[in-house]
Amino acid sequence: MHESMLTGILLVFLLVTAVFAVATRYVLHAVLSLSIFGILLSVLFVMYQAPDVAMAEAVVGAGLMTALFVVTISKTTNRDDSA
Amino acid sequence: MWGEIVDFAYWVVVGLFLIGFFGVLTDTNLIKIAIGLNIMEASLLLLLVRLAFSPGDSPPIVSEGILNYADPVPQALTLTAIVIGASTTALLLSFIIKTYKYYGSVDLKEIRRMER
Amino acid sequence: MIRKSVALVILAILGLLVMGGLAELPLPAERMSESVTSRHILSEGVSDTGAVNLVTAVLFDYRGFDTLGEATVIFAAAAGVVLLFFRHDLPTSRLGLSSLAKRSIMVLAPFVFVTGLYIVMFGHVTPGGGFQGGVVWATLTILLCIVYGTAFEWRFINTRTKTLLESLGAIAFILLGLVGIYRGDFFLSNIAAGFRAGVPGELTSGGAIPLLNLAIGLKVAAGLALIFYNMVKKDVG
Repeated sequence: MHESMLTGILLVFLLVTAVFAVATRYVLHAVLSLSIFGILLSVLFVMYQAPDVAMAEAVVGAGLMTALFVVTISKTTNRDDSA
Repeated sequence: MWGEIVDFAYWVVVGLFLIGFFGVLTDTNLIKIAIGLNIMEASLLLLLVRLAFSPGDSPPIVSEGILNYADPVPQALTLTAIVIGASTTALLLSFIIKTYKYYGSVDLKEIRRMER
Repeated sequence: MIRKSVALVILAILGLLVMGGLAELPLPAERMSESVTSRHILSEGVSDTGAVNLVTAVLFDYRGFDTLGEATVIFAAAAGVVLLFFRHDLPTSRLGLSSLAKRSIMVLAPFVFVTGLYIVMFGHVTPGGGFQGGVVWATLTILLCIVYGTAFEWRFINTRTKTLLESLGAIAFILLGLVGIYRGDFFLSNIAAGFRAGVPGELTSGGAIPLLNLAIGLKVAAGLALIFYNMVKKDVG
């Protein structure tokens, strides 16, 4: 009972972060929302008894993808406001 | 027709796929399109992992006294898909950086105006 | 506005189609009882491969050739990124973050490295494996690059080292696969090719799986780090 409730809450928040990532006008906000999306997805994988997949999703979705997206954003903005 | 789908997770899978597809269709910023593609991919990962699981299962790591395990085959496929998705997204992002170097913008509308 | 409404109509049609397709899917329990592969792996997996973690057993034993193809995809992506940016130069910035961050990352880095090594080497016993541990190593190099600036990277873990490690991982994987052919069995066969199965649950169990994990870990780490550093590069002119 409690497990299914927790899973339901996580699924709702997954939808919320996905909608925010697509709807927001600011690209950086979308990328940070995608990072939270990855963490929620990895917790869901743990709830669905897939610890290997959860570990990969946590490292890739929250760590590596965020780094790559942030590098892309800093490369595709004007020179004066990027380091 | 849809009576057998009782689990909320399948609806979330469809919802995530449609949200990501909506982003790909309507956004003009190339980075936002990459984000939409990532969300579509994540919905399919969730579908595969949900299909491998039925309530009461344990993770597929064999130990004594446990009878029901989650199905390891879709989980292995999901693991493969995550790493491949990361490397192909990296390639996509490098193409976006190259596009910016060439056009000075990542907005599809502006790029189309320059092409004309 | 027209664009968005057309998109919504397309989405509605697609949504109905996808839900119709999902309604046809069998429930997980039914599918498990019908799938010969899953039942065989669950009942015979440990005695077939010697690995307790069945996901790793599928990845590196039953579908080892598939994993080789996946490593090829990572190699192709890394090669594509390197080709796109090969005229560019890595900016040699010595700035990095504050000295507090530099001190604490030097305390933290060995632990992160050992965590990655643990995830790789115990992939057949606990959750984890070459892919996850390899990505942990790749994020470690990204962390060092952010904290110390790119000059540090240029001097210690430069592109040549990473290319060498990636090729080493790929060659080790293929050589371990060729052992199977040499022993008169299939490519990438594990226990049948004479690797010792060991006691399930111990580090030395699983035949060639720990070695394959290490090879894939090196390859993934070097490939993803190569992708990151090539994306950081700057246009020379």
